[in-house]
Amino acid sequence: MPVVDIDTDELRQLTGHEEKEDDQLKEDLFGLGLEFEGETEDGDLQFEFAPDRLDRLSVEGVARSLRYQYGDDRGVYVPDTNDAEWTIEVDDSVPAERPYVAGAVVRGVDLDDDALDSLIQLQEKLHATMGRKRAKGAIGIHDLAMLKGERIEQREVGEDNELEPPEDLTPVGGDEGPTDVGGPTISYRGVAPDGDEFVPLDADRGMTPAEVLTDHPTGETYADLVSEYGRYPAIYDELGLFSFPPVINGQRTEVTTESRELLVELTGTDQWTIDRMLAIICYALDARGATIEAVDVVYDDDAPGEHAGDHLVRPELDTREKTVSHDRIETTLGIELEMEAVVDLFERSGLDVTTNLGEETQYEVEIPPYRVDVLHPSDLVDDVGRAYGFGDLEPEYPDIGTIGGRHERSRLERATRTALVGLGFEDLLNFHLSSPEENYDRMGVEEGADALGGGEAVEVTSAYSEDYTQLRTWALPSIMHVLENNTHRRYPQELAEVGFVAERDDGENTHVAEHRTVAAAIARTDATYEDVKGKLQALVGEFDAALETPATEHPSFIDGRAAEVVIDGESVGVVGEIHPAVLVERDLEVPVAAFEFRLDALAE
Amino acid sequence: MRLPERQVAALQAASATDAQPIPALAAAAGIDEAAARTAVFELEDDGLLEVDSETEETVSLTDEAREYLEAGLPEVRLYRAAVAAGADEAPVQMGQVIGASGLEGPQVDIALSNFARKGYGEIDSGEVSADPDADPDSDPEVAALERIAAGEPVDDDALLDRLDERGLIEREERTVRSVLLTDAGVDALMAGVEAAETADRLTPEMLTSGEWADVEFTDYNVEADAAEAGAGKVHVLRQASERVKDVLVGMGFQEMDGPHADADFWINDALFMPQDHPARTHWDRFALDVDPIEELPEELLQAVENAHRNGVGSDGDGYHSPWSEDFAREVALRGHTTSLSMRYLSGAAEGDLEPPQRYFSVEKAYRNDTIDATHLLEFFQIEGWVMAEELSVRDLMGTFEEFYRQFGITDVQFKPHYNPYTEPSFELFGRHPETGELIEIGNSGIFREEVLSPLGVECDVMAWGLALERLAMLYTGAEDIRDLHGTLADLEFLRNAEVIY
Repeated sequence: MPVVDIDTDELRQLTGHEEKEDDQLKEDLFGLGLEFEGETEDGDLQFEFAPDRLDRLSVEGVARSLRYQYGDDRGVYVPDTNDAEWTIEVDDSVPAERPYVAGAVVRGVDLDDDALDSLIQLQEKLHATMGRKRAKGAIGIHDLAMLKGERIEQREVGEDNELEPPEDLTPVGGDEGPTDVGGPTISYRGVAPDGDEFVPLDADRGMTPAEVLTDHPTGETYADLVSEYGRYPAIYDELGLFSFPPVINGQRTEVTTESRELLVELTGTDQWTIDRMLAIICYALDARGATIEAVDVVYDDDAPGEHAGDHLVRPELDTREKTVSHDRIETTLGIELEMEAVVDLFERSGLDVTTNLGEETQYEVEIPPYRVDVLHPSDLVDDVGRAYGFGDLEPEYPDIGTIGGRHERSRLERATRTALVGLGFEDLLNFHLSSPEENYDRMGVEEGADALGGGEAVEVTSAYSEDYTQLRTWALPSIMHVLENNTHRRYPQELAEVGFVAERDDGENTHVAEHRTVAAAIARTDATYEDVKGKLQALVGEFDAALETPATEHPSFIDGRAAEVVIDGESVGVVGEIHPAVLVERDLEVPVAAFEFRLDALAE
Repeated sequence: MRLPERQVAALQAASATDAQPIPALAAAAGIDEAAARTAVFELEDDGLLEVDSETEETVSLTDEAREYLEAGLPEVRLYRAAVAAGADEAPVQMGQVIGASGLEGPQVDIALSNFARKGYGEIDSGEVSADPDADPDSDPEVAALERIAAGEPVDDDALLDRLDERGLIEREERTVRSVLLTDAGVDALMAGVEAAETADRLTPEMLTSGEWADVEFTDYNVEADAAEAGAGKVHVLRQASERVKDVLVGMGFQEMDGPHADADFWINDALFMPQDHPARTHWDRFALDVDPIEELPEELLQAVENAHRNGVGSDGDGYHSPWSEDFAREVALRGHTTSLSMRYLSGAAEGDLEPPQRYFSVEKAYRNDTIDATHLLEFFQIEGWVMAEELSVRDLMGTFEEFYRQFGITDVQFKPHYNPYTEPSFELFGRHPETGELIEIGNSGIFREEVLSPLGVECDVMAWGLALERLAMLYTGAEDIRDLHGTLADLEFLRNAEVIY
């Protein structure tokens, strides 16, 4: 779950509640669903919260939520946006894998260290959440003063650029152009991996994008995001390449506490996602007293993606509307509410409401653009509940009559376990995950062998541990493992398990055949075939089934002392004395006699 | 009359006229004294013998007294040395007399104090004079010691007291029991008594022959520890699971069953989990190396895709996330058992369900992560849901309060939470029954329409889940989950685990 670091002095200042002590703030934040986790080295308080309200990833957003909670603010707030001066052109050379861009200009910024930290934190947290580790959306923030936005001339590109150079962008501004804007312009385009050079942040020399991916620590971290692309994403101004999204910005436009005007640009795989990330950033900067200025985003007619030829104005801070019925609110909360009360609760959630008295009372709710979590009217019902205080609702046991019962398989398992325990076995519960070494090798069984346990294993594609790479095909290896781990414990050890096993089976819908198995072993100085067969007979007898044990061979058992388990005429398992080689492999110094068979053989 | 052998012997050795002490009776009966004593008391209880108890004092010599019997009392030795030195006529230097007597150490003081007391002479100004008329040969203390040594009685209590004071004798009181036959005992002997056998074990033969009635069973030490019985026991987590199932069945829940390896569609897509949700990435999923699932309900597949892309209802929004059927069809180990709920709610498991319904499962789910003291790759998830025409948050709270109350967890708190598949959602916290600590005990909510509508469910469904291990660790006090579950289990821990009921 996301964690936000909060400087409580900043929080007091941004909420205007200088009187709130830290403990009081903690309590108020818990009410919003932000749980205190601990302190950072710098003395900031860390709060964890569920990843729905991403607008709370910064102290500014948390302060806004608190002001609503305190009743200081009501209803929807949308920052004013000045008209666009700057343009972002989207070239047709942009990599098709990352076609979208958004941006805003922010003026009148006064970033002290805290505010700058908060902005960087917000950027990083948005990357981690909505941005899906920058894959879906990445934010670049630049010092606008360092950008030169005259119309961009065709730049010289390196000799090794095998791709077509980007089309000449110069003749824009004529009547034919997508817009008439004559203001400063930057360009989002694609560049060959070694097609250009810039000085990235935290570097002391010019590097090509490809060099950044191999030679720069940040580049290495994010290399996987773009390394497969034919052309790499790049943003240019008149002076050249200044940003290599989603990997790293150039040093030239680095933001410092001296910066007074910013350019925020976002690139990504989904326009909506980067638009929402931008909205959250703009709200945070607005809360710091900055002025938001729009940017024209002009997609080339041949640009990849859904917006080819479109002219978008960003940031997109439009509100949305959804309709909720009064009845749904009352049903979900389980209480009756006056209309005025509902309107009040909506406004205290930072929403605006128009009440619609028709056949059914409905509320048309206006939702601000930072509320990325609202997909459905039920999300607004939740807002009302939170504002009302879910904790104030009186629990009530529902007056619903249903009949309970166990699943047949679960009853069969229970009966079998009870019978095994009655026969003196300690009931085990082992992992379903195992390894080829445990499942096959150490039992002397080969995968694919026509013997119990020889079934083909279903493997985990990305296992963390080599001990757990596949589903077990039988349970005796697990029991042998428990014996191996308990040689220092009292004997006799009589162990059994009724559990899950699986093997590859293309006849199944999931290509995995799942079974329940019954396995048991007796380990003691005088354990013999007869001992374990006696238990098996008793067990099978309890289910009124017929047992036969024709001789067989199985690599885990001693030849001449192994038999098939045939229950009601069907061969379902094996019983015998475990082979000394298997015992020695596990440092066991007592003989072991064991059986295993399919649980469903005991079913009616 | 048949009596145990020792009783027969004791009875036959007893006399109706001459009372005998038990040692004498034992000797006459030819049995050991302890057996004789037991037999005598048993026979007294039966009225065949009369036992008369008297207190008797026994006097025995101390080591010091035995030494004096050998060498003479110190004062006598002093007297004889004094006489030999002529002290019966004129006082002699004490040092000379003592030196001649051979007395040493504490014996000197003993000799001097008793010498004067017994009138053997006087000691004055360092000189000893002896009374010529004294007669140490007839010293009554010596005579008494000699009698005691010979086992003869000494009747002079004052004399005994003095010897006791000198530490020369030990006096001990003991009860002497003497035994006489009663009239009934005589009658019994006249009628004839026979010895009955004693037996170590009750045998089948004794039962069938009726011999058990005449047998005397030897006594066991019933307080001694016995060898521990090696009993089997249902695994403690299974016991916890049974307990949970009991509670849920009692609350009207039906149990679900279904595949562990399932399509991502059932595990995640049907739950309105966006395909680019962090929990669905490469490393967190337990993807399996098998071909995609063959069959998914076609209509449902489309409805789910539509919910993801466009949302549900006229006001609904979808996710701005990629969605592919290929991903939905991939097979993985279920990360939660909510896949079962999806199968049941969709009708794929048991056909369409009409409200009201309650369903549950306590089944394994899998998490692809590293193992530590509180996390395993496999855990049991308790999953439950309630379907009704209308359900409120209050119904949810009431249901879960009731569930946790069954386990002694009270003061359940509902913290508003976020899940992609429920709204509203709540994390559940409760008081630990012993420590009083507030602990997280589950996650719950009312299923979103984006989940229910594609499944064809037109009423409300509320659901919750929690890890069984969390409850079980409260029960067992286990601090390392690895002791409980899996091949690393410690047998001793399982054997000693307290049963759950």
